[in-house]
Amino acid sequence: MRRLIGALLLLAALGGTLGLSIGIRTDLAEFLPAGRTPAGAFLLRELRSGAATTLLLAGIEGAPEAELARIARETAAGLRASGRFAFVGDGTTTLGEAEQALLLRYRYLLSPETRPEAFTAAALRPRLEALLDGLRSAASPLLARFGFADPTGAFLGLARAWLGESRVETRDGAWFAAGATPPRALLLARIAGAGLGAEAQGEAIAAFRAAFAAARPGPARLLLSGPGVFATEAAAAIRADVELITLASAGLLAGFLFWRYRSPLLLGLVAVPLAAGTIAGFAAVALAYGGAVHGIALGFGMTMLGVTVDYPILLVTLRRPEESLAGAAARIWPTLRLAAAAAATGLAAMLGSGFPGLVQLGLFAGTGLLVAAATTRWVLPWLVPGARIAARPLPRPLRSLLEALRGRRAVAPALVGLAALGLLALGGPAWQRDLAALSPVPRAAQALDAELRASLGAPDVRLILALGPGTEEAVLAASERLGAAVAPLLGGAVQGIDLPSRYLPSIATQQARRSALPDAAALQAELATASAGLPFRAGAFAPFLAGVEESRGLPPLTAARLAEEAPTIAARLSPLLSRRGEAVEGIALAQGVTDPAALRAAVARLADPAILLVDVKAETEGLLAAYGRATLLWALAGGALVLALLGFGLGRPGLRAALPIGGALVVTLAVLTLLGEALSLFHLASLLLLAGLAIDYSLFLATPGDDDSLEAVLNCAVATLLTFGLLAFCGTPVLHGIGLTVSVGVASAFLLACALSPRIARA
Amino acid sequence: MRHWLLLLLLLAAPARAQEDAALARLMAGFAAQPRSTAAFTEEKAIPELDLPLPSEGTLSWQAPDRLEKHTTSPIDEVLRVAGGRLLYERPDRGLRREFALEEQPEMQALVEAVRGTLAGDLAALRRHYSIAFTPEAPEHGWRMLLTPLSLRVRSAVQRIVVSGRGPQVRLIETEGGGGVSRMQIHPRS
Repeated sequence: MRRLIGALLLLAALGGTLGLSIGIRTDLAEFLPAGRTPAGAFLLRELRSGAATTLLLAGIEGAPEAELARIARETAAGLRASGRFAFVGDGTTTLGEAEQALLLRYRYLLSPETRPEAFTAAALRPRLEALLDGLRSAASPLLARFGFADPTGAFLGLARAWLGESRVETRDGAWFAAGATPPRALLLARIAGAGLGAEAQGEAIAAFRAAFAAARPGPARLLLSGPGVFATEAAAAIRADVELITLASAGLLAGFLFWRYRSPLLLGLVAVPLAAGTIAGFAAVALAYGGAVHGIALGFGMTMLGVTVDYPILLVTLRRPEESLAGAAARIWPTLRLAAAAAATGLAAMLGSGFPGLVQLGLFAGTGLLVAAATTRWVLPWLVPGARIAARPLPRPLRSLLEALRGRRAVAPALVGLAALGLLALGGPAWQRDLAALSPVPRAAQALDAELRASLGAPDVRLILALGPGTEEAVLAASERLGAAVAPLLGGAVQGIDLPSRYLPSIATQQARRSALPDAAALQAELATASAGLPFRAGAFAPFLAGVEESRGLPPLTAARLAEEAPTIAARLSPLLSRRGEAVEGIALAQGVTDPAALRAAVARLADPAILLVDVKAETEGLLAAYGRATLLWALAGGALVLALLGFGLGRPGLRAALPIGGALVVTLAVLTLLGEALSLFHLASLLLLAGLAIDYSLFLATPGDDDSLEAVLNCAVATLLTFGLLAFCGTPVLHGIGLTVSVGVASAFLLACALSPRIARA
Repeated sequence: MRHWLLLLLLLAAPARAQEDAALARLMAGFAAQPRSTAAFTEEKAIPELDLPLPSEGTLSWQAPDRLEKHTTSPIDEVLRVAGGRLLYERPDRGLRREFALEEQPEMQALVEAVRGTLAGDLAALRRHYSIAFTPEAPEHGWRMLLTPLSLRVRSAVQRIVVSGRGPQVRLIETEGGGGVSRMQIHPRS
């Protein structure tokens, strides 16, 4: 007893030290493989550190409209004051005075309207008439400010294009979701800095919430979304979910084991191999990957090591009354060894998948399994040499039911055949092709994100266009070529496209516009012709003439200058134009794409090496399919290896032992498909775990002998069901998938193994 | 000489107090009308233009801070102010724009003058303008000369003269950027 407690303390200390000194990575993107195609590589890089990861979308609802507007305005003011955000978008977003002055000065170099013909009398005449019309209106003070300096409206057009969010309604200085009842105010914020860690994102999110709270929200609620929120808050919610379930299932498991064995000692014994296996797996991954272990590998690895709970239960239950624990360990070791080796071989399949996360997972679980088995064999008997733990007899009705099932070989093929037929009828298992379903983010959070994105007019990231890499000038020029190619589609196949060149034209374009400007004398003459018969006084347009003349001598604007002097526009440009080492890369985001084929064709016609269209959905589907195929292939190879191992170890009975394993897999697949579950990598991983469990049941039940083995295996199966059954009730897709797969699988594996096991020769 | 000065000061002080009392009475009169509607005719002179630009329509006021200018001729348009927001709508072009009042100094100067007067909020007027007030007399109405305090606003609008009879505004003259706009108001209620 003292040794056991000592061992548990030692393991706890070891685990704590390892966990603290090595640390865990939680970035989902690191779990994914590096892309094999340029598009795939680009996509994964964007997912890891791209502009999209710094965006926060917020909705405020639950109060009258005027109150929502006030809260939104004050929250936005708080966000701007916090200094953590590069850009805060709401109904009060405007250009500062210095910024306005810069952009006004550069209006003719920046405006796409600058062409030689725009400065002819014919083009100027309608502009002057419109100006006159505007001066008559009540808004004349607004027009008088810029109208005489900029009668072509170049500056106002630019400002509107840069700040306007077409799909958002501005009311009371706040953005509102169009047509939403009840009303919902909207805010958009971009966290300052790029490629941030989860911690910095978490701080920015906390600052957002603080700004909201400081706006005295009363009954109003803040709905916050964005990759940063997913990374921190959703992950925390899942962690809480898992913790709750772990506690509940640990309680149930402990209750069950105590009921069956009436021994607190057993609970300690069960914990030792599990802890030893976890620590060994963690250390192995840390060694192989030179440090950090991915959180997902750790989480799923521990889940898979759940199979090792079986080992002490089997050991204790199979001990004969006259036997010592060491003796029992030595006796069951060949079977246990084979079971553990077979399960570890199955997991080894993951090493070949090429998916970094899965490789880590396979290494973790495989090492852990072997260490846990060895611990059960050599360490447990030494820890509690005198232990006399025995299971209480099973309740009579259950016992007779199981005995009736035992040896009914016909049941198994019937069940498996039915499942296989059902699977065929349903068209085989459905594969999950959506990356969203792989994400640990709850569906409700994903839905909210989609809703906020749609109402804010934030680009749907289905299609991304990568520009460059190259010099800033090359990327901007590519952006302009793309803009020209897409222009005919606007309003039809594509609602809009956000290009870096929309905010900053290339130097060549700026120079071309500069040389399109007429000299003072020519412009004066055109203007005189244009204003003939209109009541403008001579000299009214002196600021216009001066502005054009000044523009003819301006050096072109660059991104660096924009960042210094025009923070609002620079904040809009920076996500689209980023510096990666020496080179500059750009992205263009298409909005409201109704006809992807048309856009694809337009880009293909360009045949421009600096423009790459990335279909995010197709690309992720391709990635997932490729890795899914690889994993499946290696799983099959692993299955063949397991078969070979069993055949080598036990001969014909060993091969027979493989039947329940395959049968359980078929039944589980059929049930999952019937329930409408689409199979993802997490389901596959669960199937591997299931195979490991089924090997145990099958091997221990296959050895002809007493009904102790039946009891031991039943206890194991119930223990597993209690652990995983609760997961099936989780809302998080991943956890739900694992729980469901393992629960269904364990039940069917147990029943099949039981039906296929030899009948007990009863005296 | 010094006596004269003293005498003048003595005379001026009560006059000043009388003006202040008259202004306060006038403001109380405005404050007592939480809403009002009036027709207006306006003539704008812009230095860059040879011709004055006429327009007409209705003005509505609703305490505490809502002011609407509905122009019916030559174009149908609505300028509405509530709190710090300015909304401009022009139905014939499907135009609808919202601005923050403080970003539009030209509009801000005018809006705060009219709104402060109609609300009878002397403190608000004094926050934005220095006031020279001439009380009403039998031969002429009262007259309030407002000079914006903010440099930024004053660069756009140099002065505003509001005049009227009793608790009613009859004329608003705005001078800014070399132009003058005269808005005559014909109360209805």
